[in-house]
Amino acid sequence: MAAKGGAAPATYSPSPTTYKKKRAPIFTDVDWVRPDGRDFHHCRPAFLRTGAVNAASGSAYAEFGNTKVIVSIFGPRESKKALMYSDTGRLNCNVSYTTFATPVRGQASDNKEISSQLHKSLEGAIMLDTFPKTTVDVFALVLESGGCDLPVVISCASLALADAGIMMYDLVAAVSVSCLGKNLVIDPVSEEENYQDGSLTITCLPSRNEVSQLTITGEWSSPKIHEGMELCLDACAKLGKIMRSCLKESASTSQE
Amino acid sequence: MVGLSIGEKHFIQGGIAQDLRTDGRKRLSYRPISVETGVIAQANGSARVKMGKTEVIASVKAELGRPSSSAPDKGKVSIYIDCSSTAAPQYEGRGGEELSMELSAALRQCLLGGKSGAGAGINLSSLAIVDGKVCWDLYIDGLVINIDGNILDALGAAIKAALSNTGIPKVNVSSTAPSDDQPEVDVSDEEFLQFDTTAVPVIVTLTKVGRHYIVDATSEEESQMSSAVSVSVNRGGMICGLTKRGGAGLDPSVILDMISVGKHVSEQLMNKLDSEIAKAEAAMEEES
Repeated sequence: MAAKGGAAPATYSPSPTTYKKKRAPIFTDVDWVRPDGRDFHHCRPAFLRTGAVNAASGSAYAEFGNTKVIVSIFGPRESKKALMYSDTGRLNCNVSYTTFATPVRGQASDNKEISSQLHKSLEGAIMLDTFPKTTVDVFALVLESGGCDLPVVISCASLALADAGIMMYDLVAAVSVSCLGKNLVIDPVSEEENYQDGSLTITCLPSRNEVSQLTITGEWSSPKIHEGMELCLDACAKLGKIMRSCLKESASTSQE
Repeated sequence: MVGLSIGEKHFIQGGIAQDLRTDGRKRLSYRPISVETGVIAQANGSARVKMGKTEVIASVKAELGRPSSSAPDKGKVSIYIDCSSTAAPQYEGRGGEELSMELSAALRQCLLGGKSGAGAGINLSSLAIVDGKVCWDLYIDGLVINIDGNILDALGAAIKAALSNTGIPKVNVSSTAPSDDQPEVDVSDEEFLQFDTTAVPVIVTLTKVGRHYIVDATSEEESQMSSAVSVSVNRGGMICGLTKRGGAGLDPSVILDMISVGKHVSEQLMNKLDSEIAKAEAAMEEES
């Protein structure tokens, strides 16, 4: 490096090679270790609790590694007067980030986009016709963003909806995988997300084995999509079980 | 959005089940597509695409900008879609915002690839001029003029056509400036570089009505859908993006089947679109 620097007249000039070094080539390596030491196909341990907020009709807190999310449900309450009559209920989703959620203060990704994705993921699971003319508010707050924010928000929101007693066909579990070189990595942390070649996020209703939302970015071949989906669905089923046991636990403690 | 009687609904659903839709098409056939390029003189590239009664315009504008600090050797691309209130009264004021946002997000996902740039339709490195100092910012704007279903596919096609119509001015960087200053650049107004669009994928939306799925659904057919899956496929047959609309859940095996059908249909659409774009370019050259 010193010899190279001496040859150039300028003290420092950004060249493509110096930046490419940032992208660790080990990602293509088979025995590369993930930043938190997990297996490629291992999810982060999930910590879930219901009843995090007293004022809400239902709420839940979720912690997946460094990703910490709190979701409160308000309603069903009367829809705003300006809205037209509707014989099915409305769902109003809003995701916000705390200013300290990201490494650079207040640098959160587009909230509106995440909010609409949360809405799309949940609407298929909720029996909207059980609360006509009314609105249910789903407010999610990402306390800390540590990768995989949207799937965690979705899973946490469905737990909160169940806690609020909103009728649903099934719980909603969401998991995403990242494609890094040749490897598929489940439940990526932010570091991995920043270098990913592609991502696949599945939202599913585990007991009905139905996919309610699926998004893919990057370049994927059909077999790889197949592999990614299998991986996600399996993880969703397991996450669904954890969510269920969390609900059972809170129900049994409240009875005592 | 679309008012249909029970009889009409049954007619549409029954037709789809028997592979003969209300306008005589089969389940997997498109409406006639027409492409016109160079429709906006102010833009670096533009195209108008009609699919049946659905009509959209896409324009590409290139401006000089600064690359972001996280990717100094790359240019930037932004995609915005506007739903004109001339298309439908409910898009007046803020009414079209939600649809616009959804379409922009879907197109960004389908055309711009992953974080590292894998599978991107537009090669961002080709937009760099001086590393860390100057790059091209590409603004892709879509305008929905008339809505009769299948807007996403039409917008995808229009953006592809507009990009192949785009000429980026040649830039000369004066080498005398010291390297830590903002370099002086000279934008040529005569020489243009053609944009490489071979990697730009096409988007195919499969709309599920009843047990079957159809391509290029009209508004009436879309009102009967349970869910829709949009797949973007590039020339190599790789999936570059996928989004799902509609609340109803799908069985995983159905999704995989839809992807393979989408891939098959995309080949035909890609060829059709390429020949239409070539025709439009030839027609434009004849005029000038």
